[in-house]
Amino acid sequence: MSAAPLLQVEDLKTHFALGTARPFGSGRRVLKAVDGVSFSIRAGEVLSLVGESGCGKSTVGRTLTRLETASGGTARLDGREILSLSQSAFRPLRREIQMIFQDPFASLNPRLTIEQTLAEPLRIHGLAKNRTEARALIAETLQLVGLDPQVMERFPHEFSGGQRQRIGIARVMILKPRLVIADEAVSALDVSIQAQVLNLIKDLQRDSGVSMLFISHDLGVVRHVSDRVAVMYLGRIVEIGSRADIFERPSHPYTRLLLSSIPRIVPGRKRVEDLGEPANAASPPSGCAFHPRCKFATDICRSAQPLAQPLGNEHFSACHHIAELQKDHA
Amino acid sequence: MATIGLIWLCLVLFAAVAAPLIVPFDPLDIDPVNRLAEPGWPHLFGTDHYGRDTFSRSLYGARMTMFIGVGSVVFALATGGLIGMLSAYFIRLGNFLMRGIDVLMAFPALLLALVLMTLLERSVTNTIIVIGIVYATTTARILFGMTLKLKREVFIDAAICSGAGHSSILFRHILPNLISPLLVQASFIFAFAQLQAAALDFLGLGLPPEVPSWGNMLSESRIYVTRAPWLLIFPGLLIILSVFSMNMVGDAMRDSMDPRFKDDIAGV
Repeated sequence: MSAAPLLQVEDLKTHFALGTARPFGSGRRVLKAVDGVSFSIRAGEVLSLVGESGCGKSTVGRTLTRLETASGGTARLDGREILSLSQSAFRPLRREIQMIFQDPFASLNPRLTIEQTLAEPLRIHGLAKNRTEARALIAETLQLVGLDPQVMERFPHEFSGGQRQRIGIARVMILKPRLVIADEAVSALDVSIQAQVLNLIKDLQRDSGVSMLFISHDLGVVRHVSDRVAVMYLGRIVEIGSRADIFERPSHPYTRLLLSSIPRIVPGRKRVEDLGEPANAASPPSGCAFHPRCKFATDICRSAQPLAQPLGNEHFSACHHIAELQKDHA
Repeated sequence: MATIGLIWLCLVLFAAVAAPLIVPFDPLDIDPVNRLAEPGWPHLFGTDHYGRDTFSRSLYGARMTMFIGVGSVVFALATGGLIGMLSAYFIRLGNFLMRGIDVLMAFPALLLALVLMTLLERSVTNTIIVIGIVYATTTARILFGMTLKLKREVFIDAAICSGAGHSSILFRHILPNLISPLLVQASFIFAFAQLQAAALDFLGLGLPPEVPSWGNMLSESRIYVTRAPWLLIFPGLLIILSVFSMNMVGDAMRDSMDPRFKDDIAGV
């Protein structure tokens, strides 16, 4: 676990301009979808990124794959900065960072056969000399994800959601990437299929030793796959730590709120009080963005943004009152 | 209806291909003795003011009809399609190009064709180009909107992640998803090109006057309408039947297309 990180993200920012400037307005409004996110992923490690919808977790994944343009910060893959590369300079590196998309019905081109879809990455990255070789690789990969190689002649509409997601995973794994970003990879699937696909992802990750950024809002799923977990709120990471630290010893009030909202049948269990709705990312609250929902909030929370405080064992939490809360919790 | 339309179009196509083999007379042969002859034998559709056989000229007219139709469709789809696709994909270029298209679309179709035709000399190629330009504007507009939508699809993101470049995304991922609307668009352009060509001919701005086209036949014979109405009735009927058939076939094509695209075409 002490190896140098495969991916090192520092102070990542992705801001979006909202609409166009009005003639007499005060300039453009900016949505800070991701605003200063730092984390690292080691080789073979699974880091989960959790948070409510709109917290910016998907934008982190899309920025790292250069589908969105970063507004600031750095991301080093094996020590090499990837956010400042031009799109064409980044293209050869795309092989190493692959993405599994959420919606398996939208992520496959309806006009291409499975073979055409899977042959494309091979062709672009020069991984197969001819069609025979490509077909052999495709067949092998389809078997790897639990599909009959004969399906490669068919079109996406002939498959179920679970099968389509397996094809999406095959498109990723066929490139033998070093980092896979799974963006809500199972949340669009039927619950009965979720476990199967999740186990497939977990197995493939373990067998290939690929690193993974697992983006999800589903804490049950996250608990199943992750080594470490980062909790995001309104464009920032509020707590990051090992799976045990986050699930057994959560320190940040928001993490506790999230954990207590997992529906479970435990008699007498109390839910952490939620004092409101998620804030609007276009006009975030002052100070700690979580303060309007936090029952521990004091004046300092309303005025100053908390910094990440080390709690030992690579466990960090961004809360002004972390010391008291830790004592309280112990 | 679509079946009848298709049969009629096949007949027209047959006439167009086989015209030189089946015409009873040379369409350009002048026969002053038999001028303005009534329909009968041997002149099935009668003769015009030079004594030329209207039936033979109608068959050759079918040839022109098909030629102009196909030519205009190819020209309009190729240029309009490319402009629309590229404009949506490279949106900075698009904001510039599409404003140009908007200007062209501000003119009524026939007026635009008239203006362009007065700048060029009368010939088959120029007629095709002018009609092609007129319908390239609508094609560009439609493909612009559809490409804008398509390029936000997740499978385009997935292709980018696979490392696909611009040309691969445009021609391998976007274009195949535009085939159905392009086909429907083609059928309508084919029909409207007929009307447009006939109108241009009638106004004396289309094909050169010696070319036997249905529009030219109408144009030349309009002063004889009281003495020889068949000179107007036959080419007129041919134009009406052909355009009607093409519209029917086009409608049928639209209905049988992928339901996803139905709404997008409805606004045309």
